Amino acid sequence: MFSRSVLRSLVSDLRCTASAAPLPQRACLHQTALLRASQQEASSQSSSPNPDTPLSATPRAQTSQPDAHQGIKKQPVAPSFDSPLKVTKSLMSSLPHLAGQSPHYVVAELHARPYLLTEGDHIRLPFLMPNVKTGDILRFNRASALGSRDFTLKGSQHVDERLFECRVRVTGVESEPLRIKEKTKRRQRHTKTAKSKHRYTIMRVMDVRIKTPEELLQEGAVVVEDTADATKIEAKS
Amino acid sequence: MPVKGIRTVTAARNGVGAFILQCKRLDFHYCNFGGSSRGMLAFLTQTLPRFAKENPQIEIRVSPRHQKHPMIKGQYINGNEKSICVRNLEPEDILKKAMILKDASGDKLKRTKKPITSLNESVRGIWSPYHGDLRGV
Repeated sequence: MFSRSVLRSLVSDLRCTASAAPLPQRACLHQTALLRASQQEASSQSSSPNPDTPLSATPRAQTSQPDAHQGIKKQPVAPSFDSPLKVTKSLMSSLPHLAGQSPHYVVAELHARPYLLTEGDHIRLPFLMPNVKTGDILRFNRASALGSRDFTLKGSQHVDERLFECRVRVTGVESEPLRIKEKTKRRQRHTKTAKSKHRYTIMRVMDVRIKTPEELLQEGAVVVEDTADATKIEAKS
Repeated sequence: MPVKGIRTVTAARNGVGAFILQCKRLDFHYCNFGGSSRGMLAFLTQTLPRFAKENPQIEIRVSPRHQKHPMIKGQYINGNEKSICVRNLEPEDILKKAMILKDASGDKLKRTKKPITSLNESVRGIWSPYHGDLRGV
């Protein structure tokens, strides 16, 4: 116990010296904040003599792996599928071509509006998304089309969400400049000014990935015979 | 030989790999005497410690500014500064204003019509009349 507290004091000393450089402090991440808070609680329980100075002791790089989110309160909603993914033979045979051709796009739908996304895109939604915080990672699971340079997978209505992964990160909230609309009535000197200043959620696309047939089989996809209305991959003509 | 400029290889796309909050510093200014600072003083004593604890990536400075209205100023990574005057506001409203500054990207407010801005090249390429199948009208 004693040695641990000594170590901690050493670490905190190091932290103090490291804090002279601005960058490591800036590089700490939003989602590690909660992690850090829980760590702080743990450390304060074990009677550390130092004030809790959080910054550079925690891991700075963040992966999109779900394992990294253990300490976070808000866990993703677990999917509830009642049947395994059914993939036709023809789709299975042509999927490697699509998955192998590297830059992909996805036409993700959000409130019935299509958004054509590629990796690294900056999205400014036309509305303020409720119940999200800056730094949250969302997975878009509703897509009407996936594609690469030469191939397109169009869903009959939507593409099954187990065929692809599209993650976005909420990077903040922006607002538009104040709009002033003058409202006038006839034969009247009075003008009413209506003001509006909407706020919009801004996001960044983290990855757009189409799963390979091997991954699908690993996740329990079932290969079925072709039907007329099944999703197909179309080649560019 | 023509002079070639150095092409930029990468562009900063915050949030693709790591995500860094754009707001790096919040300055809270208050006046000890003025009545418009009453809500701010309550905010500084009651709400700010929790706010600061929840957002360890933001540097928080509190400083008096005599004979002036209370104010919150945000400094952003891109070098911009945004300030909001919080005179006569209640602590809850001041927290909302602080959240606005925290979530802001630091860019100038703009009206945009397109939801997506992309640095990537078009995935499917540009259409060419000389390639692909012949199609009847």
